[in-house]
Amino acid sequence: MPADLTELSRDARAIARGRVVAIDPRWSDDRRSIETIVTLEVETYLKGTFGRTVQFRVSGGELGRFRSVTVGAPEFSIDEHVVVFLGADGPSVPHVLGLNQGVFRVVRAADGWVVSLPSAGSPISGSARIVRGDTSRRPVALADFEQRVRTLAGGPR
Amino acid sequence: MRRAAAVLLSMCVAWPAQPAFAYLKLSTRANGRQVTLKWAQTPVRYVVSSRDAAAGVTVDEFQAAVGRAFAQWQAVPTSSIAYQFGGLTAALPGQDDGLSTLGFRNRADMDRVLASTSFLVDVVTGSLVESDIVFNSSFDWSTAPAGQLGRFDVESIALHEIGHLSGLGHSALGETELREGGGRRVLGAETVMFPIAFGSGTVAGRTLKADDIAGISDLYPDGGFSTSTGSVSGTVTKDGQPIFGAHIVAFDLAHGSMVAGFSLNAQGQFSINGLSPGPHVIRVEPLDDAEVDSFFDTSLTVDLDFKVAFLDRLVIVAGGGDRGDVAATVSRK
Repeated sequence: MPADLTELSRDARAIARGRVVAIDPRWSDDRRSIETIVTLEVETYLKGTFGRTVQFRVSGGELGRFRSVTVGAPEFSIDEHVVVFLGADGPSVPHVLGLNQGVFRVVRAADGWVVSLPSAGSPISGSARIVRGDTSRRPVALADFEQRVRTLAGGPR
Repeated sequence: MRRAAAVLLSMCVAWPAQPAFAYLKLSTRANGRQVTLKWAQTPVRYVVSSRDAAAGVTVDEFQAAVGRAFAQWQAVPTSSIAYQFGGLTAALPGQDDGLSTLGFRNRADMDRVLASTSFLVDVVTGSLVESDIVFNSSFDWSTAPAGQLGRFDVESIALHEIGHLSGLGHSALGETELREGGGRRVLGAETVMFPIAFGSGTVAGRTLKADDIAGISDLYPDGGFSTSTGSVSGTVTKDGQPIFGAHIVAFDLAHGSMVAGFSLNAQGQFSINGLSPGPHVIRVEPLDDAEVDSFFDTSLTVDLDFKVAFLDRLVIVAGGGDRGDVAATVSRK
């Protein structure tokens, strides 16, 4: 479960929406574990920028006869549309924040592209119980989601 | 930067196999088929890394705390799972080296994640080669008997991750709230396999619950599990159509405990094993307050658009028996 959009938006170095165009498992730089480099063709940045295409690293992948599965690491498929919240330490290849917390899948619904959110943003004050089955909780239109993220990230509106 | 609000445990990549199963069991693709991530031989041998440490916790204290967590899973009388400590190692957890290693490590990609479990699988045979657990050393940890203010409890988190190491996915038997300024807080959980941990300073997650015991016993049944407990199975439908991913909770009226499962196939079928004999209340609910990726493979479409519903009768579970006649109907939001 994600922390929430407020934290993710605040902490991400870049937030990109785009289409997955390549998925390449490889040995990590220290040759001790399997990781996967995901290439995203960026349609827009909601915060920061890493260029028109961005590559980021996720744990796990399949090489030869071995498959490494990191529980909680996001998995992607070609042509999938996602919004990714990316972190990066210095010049290293960016990573998704908080394993799969930092990935939001964008799917086509009857009335356009939507994103499913487990909860709205943080309350202005106090706390707010999250109620399973809340009848007001519905997928959010992509444009509304992006507006919310831009606002939380302090970017242009 | 350390984030006080980070309370996430590792999340699962679960592909439910056919036919419908109880609980979420971790599985992966191997040789063109889905295989359950389950140890073929026990005891499962693990080693503890002496390479990296976390402030306030020695290697000996860490080893003792994870040992207590392993012992608790092993003590479940209706499960055959067993573990064996294989000593200390200079290797790090998270390395694909054939050793099942537990230890501390500071990894950038584990930002706001307390701990994570990984597996190495031979895709030709489908067998498990190793499973590692990384504890994120960028957090403050404790092994104090009653917990320590501002520090996360090693034993509680180990208990959750060892559930994964044993093959269990996440359970949704928990409730959370959003906090001012960001972050989610667990209000209560009836399982140690809930994907969000209790906050720092508490040892509330140190005890296996009925749902955990049912899950591990279903994976590695032993000691009369099949005769002393019963099961409930059936289907969930909406508008006359079966739905996938509905969360079904069986509440044991006699003991006040809960065991849950999901509808896990295209026919909307579910099965909840390991229930104590006696009357149960059945509740069906959508997983709409959770990050679905932490429960199911992203290629699966989970139905979130329905209201919470209760079965209109009590279900009487019999030891060794299955109440396979439960037909739950839900309606759109």
